[in-house]
Amino acid sequence: MTLRRISVILALLGIAVLPWLLTTGYWRGILVLCAMNVLLALSLNLVMGYTGQLNLGQSAFFAIGAYVSTILVKSHGWNFWPAALAAILASGLVGLALAAFATRLKGHYLAIASLGFAVITYQVLINWESVTEGVRGVYGILPPVPNTVALFYLVAGIALAVYLLLDNLVRSPVGDTLRAIREDEISAASLGVNAAVWKAFAFGLGAAIAGLAGVFYPGFVGTLVPDAFGIIESFTMMAMVIVGGMGTMIGPVIGAVVLTFLPELLRGFGELRLMIYGLALTLVVLFMPGGIVQAYTSLRARRRP
Amino acid sequence: MTDFLTLFIQQSVNGVYLGCLYVMVALGLTLIYGVLNQINFAHADFVTVGAFAAFFTATRFATRVLGIPDTGAYLLSLFSALGAGALLGWLVSAAVFAPLRRSGADELRPLIATIGVSVLLENGQLALFGPIPYQFDSPLARETLRIGKLFISAQSVLVVAVSAAAIAALYAFMRFTFMGKALRAVAQDRETAGLMGINENLVIALTIVIASALAGVAGALLGPVVVLTPFTGASLIVKAFACVIIGGFGNMEGTIVAGLLIGVIEAFTVQYLGSGLIDLVVFAMLLAMLVVRPTGLVAERKEENV
Amino acid sequence: MKHLFRSFIAILACAALPLAVQSQDKVIRVGVLMPISGPGSYFGVMGKEGIDLALEQVAKTDLKGTKLQVQYEDSACSPLQATNTVKRVLDQFKPHIVIGEECSDATLAIAPILEQAKVVQLNAGSVTMKLTESGYKYVFRIFPNAEQQSAPLVKVAREKLKAQTAVILYEKTNAGNDNAEGFEKPFVAAGGKVLAKIDFGRDVNDFTAIATRIASLGKVDVLPTFALEGQQVRLSQALAQARVVKGGGGSGVQMGSIWLPWGYDQKAGKAAIGYVRIVQFDPTEKRKIVQDFIKAFQAKYGADKTPTHINAHAYDALLLVAEAVRRGAKDSEGIRSQFSKFKDVEVTTGRITFDQKGQNSDLSVVHFVETQPDLSWKGMSWQ
Repeated sequence: MTLRRISVILALLGIAVLPWLLTTGYWRGILVLCAMNVLLALSLNLVMGYTGQLNLGQSAFFAIGAYVSTILVKSHGWNFWPAALAAILASGLVGLALAAFATRLKGHYLAIASLGFAVITYQVLINWESVTEGVRGVYGILPPVPNTVALFYLVAGIALAVYLLLDNLVRSPVGDTLRAIREDEISAASLGVNAAVWKAFAFGLGAAIAGLAGVFYPGFVGTLVPDAFGIIESFTMMAMVIVGGMGTMIGPVIGAVVLTFLPELLRGFGELRLMIYGLALTLVVLFMPGGIVQAYTSLRARRRP
Repeated sequence: MTDFLTLFIQQSVNGVYLGCLYVMVALGLTLIYGVLNQINFAHADFVTVGAFAAFFTATRFATRVLGIPDTGAYLLSLFSALGAGALLGWLVSAAVFAPLRRSGADELRPLIATIGVSVLLENGQLALFGPIPYQFDSPLARETLRIGKLFISAQSVLVVAVSAAAIAALYAFMRFTFMGKALRAVAQDRETAGLMGINENLVIALTIVIASALAGVAGALLGPVVVLTPFTGASLIVKAFACVIIGGFGNMEGTIVAGLLIGVIEAFTVQYLGSGLIDLVVFAMLLAMLVVRPTGLVAERKEENV
Repeated sequence: MKHLFRSFIAILACAALPLAVQSQDKVIRVGVLMPISGPGSYFGVMGKEGIDLALEQVAKTDLKGTKLQVQYEDSACSPLQATNTVKRVLDQFKPHIVIGEECSDATLAIAPILEQAKVVQLNAGSVTMKLTESGYKYVFRIFPNAEQQSAPLVKVAREKLKAQTAVILYEKTNAGNDNAEGFEKPFVAAGGKVLAKIDFGRDVNDFTAIATRIASLGKVDVLPTFALEGQQVRLSQALAQARVVKGGGGSGVQMGSIWLPWGYDQKAGKAAIGYVRIVQFDPTEKRKIVQDFIKAFQAKYGADKTPTHINAHAYDALLLVAEAVRRGAKDSEGIRSQFSKFKDVEVTTGRITFDQKGQNSDLSVVHFVETQPDLSWKGMSWQ
């Protein structure tokens, strides 16, 4: 039994047990939210952490997943699962399109372009009222499974599967390629790496995963409005990846869990909650760029004699 | 006002004034990028802080404590806004940009750190000032100048005048003073500038302070025109970025041209399409520019991101 | 022996007494969902002020031994937050009634959850028609809905102001949308012409271009506007500059609904002259309940603050809960049954009579005022 197999089994056990430890409808809902955030953080980490592309607009793909699946189900009578598949495909394709356009851009240009893309997506959602209902919103959306526990198992199970998939990916030669692009694109190109293709791949896959998370979001909340997909959501995702530990696999998971449950502990501090996010992000970037994972590994290193 | 020419001129005037607002905000961004190759995401929040500083100076301090009448109080508040901006700039430079530069961080960490600062500033102001909009009225906002059928508020004239003055002052500074030349040297080639005896850290810090002071003054000018809440800056930041990119990162002339262009396009979009589409149009322009001509409208420096 | 027996009885009686007293000490739990953080906190701040004040006032009255216990939760004006928050409140606080939310999106998100939990939802801030058109049995709303706000405006526009043309201005939200449509449909049906329907996001700051556009449309008789005070001030000033409205030397009449609080006219200055609007909460009203409310409000929050309609509606909401309790409600079903029987219950904003959909159908204090050159309100007897 390899360490990895043991971890997977433990994770499965953990997922199975959690809804029975936190038994109120409210906490189970938070668990579902957490699973979705894990998916989002993993998706962003692929693009930012492993491929080194600063994407400030990941919430756009989350939105596309949510809206495409909901519109297909509500306005065209599709069943949930085919609609979900279509939505994931749509997000992935848009991600590829953005990449095709953005591959020439580096660093700050890409950051602002991705921000611009997120703003445009948001504006389209608001203005294309005949299709998206705009600011009015879509109501009475049902989740694919009847209760919260089942929904949690579904989303968490998918998150685990995605985690394993990505973990395999980054351990494979593909991961090496992505890391090479992150470290030094020019040298990688001189080794025959077609950076453009691989960056597009990372963007597309990241977008598809974010779309996948988006598919479960409207059913969970019951209503869908464009305001749920603004710039602050992109920043929250980024905070999860960075605070957890960008560029590692477990980092985003930790970041997602911490930043999903932290607001619950800070309930009493309403306005201060977002202030603390901002402060956390700044401090982590300044002093502990590798996030919680870095803090943990350096603590372990210090303990060794 | 039904004849087309009058309409055209009026919207152009509106556009120029709007554009000056954006230029005031974007100019600082471009300055910082020029000299440091960094984006200060919290820049627009400095504008908000400047607006609040001006508001409290004009309405509480100057009138009640010092007893200065309206117009004088407002002009005084411009200076306090400048000071507030400068102070914030210095803080961010010392606490964020300088340490990250020393530790040799990659180019994107400061951007992310300033995103954190931006969220912190916005919500800090929310906690301090509350969400209910403040009524910042300058005595000039109620006066309107009329030429035939055209109109422009006195405040708008002030905005254009102060922007022009600020730009002129900046130009003079860059061209004729030692510090200004040092700034341009550092912008062009930091290492060589260092070898020539220029203290880059001082120059960079000074640049950030000047840029942030500009942001503060922009806030004081904007205050009487906009709806003043802790989120006012956030509504401007994305358009400011559009100015900087369309004009070319680090390129002052480009930013000015881009700002005015965006302002005019916005005015005409409102006229013919509807204000809901402004952001869409501006950002489509931004993305198009990135595809077609990433160096910006006014290409001055060659593409550095090889 | 006899002595012992009597003492025993006495002790039993003493033990039983507190138990008897305890069963008199009833509590009605009121959950309050308001946006306390984020850009929507504008509403939450005012709502909380109203409810806090109401709690104090109600405690001075006779509530048949029942205590009202209030718990505030932050729903941040967002459906996701509101959904999570309402679930938590239901689990942990187990309220008998929930007052909330302010933003239509969030209100619609929590309605089905409260309906399923059979907990009464009392809404004092959302405009969307959908809330009372979806067949919910536990929803009650004292805030006038979009049609109730816009229909009287149309009547006055056509009949009193003889308006032929209109330009509708509204913020791009559920509330603004609904109000705009609520004006457009009946106005067009009555033979009027809508020259333009202009929307803008909450982050739009400059209205000069919009004012210029309106000026280029020709003769505009009325301009119904649905925006929050901050934007409304700037909009009015721009319209005045462009000589579109009376306040700037033009001929158009700005019209509005209850969105604008007392004090707006002073902030907008000359531009507000000639503004015709409906007020739901009029602080100059002589009714005792209104004046008492204002006195208590100023005593608690400062003599320079005048309550807004958001303060008033929130205050009223709690008053209604207290009234239901006075009439015998002991739990959620009781509150629901009392509410459905309410007829002409007097509150600061008027009188409450809930129709079968849960909407207050009594618009007794919907009266019109027009802003005078000295910026005061003149009541128009148009209702």
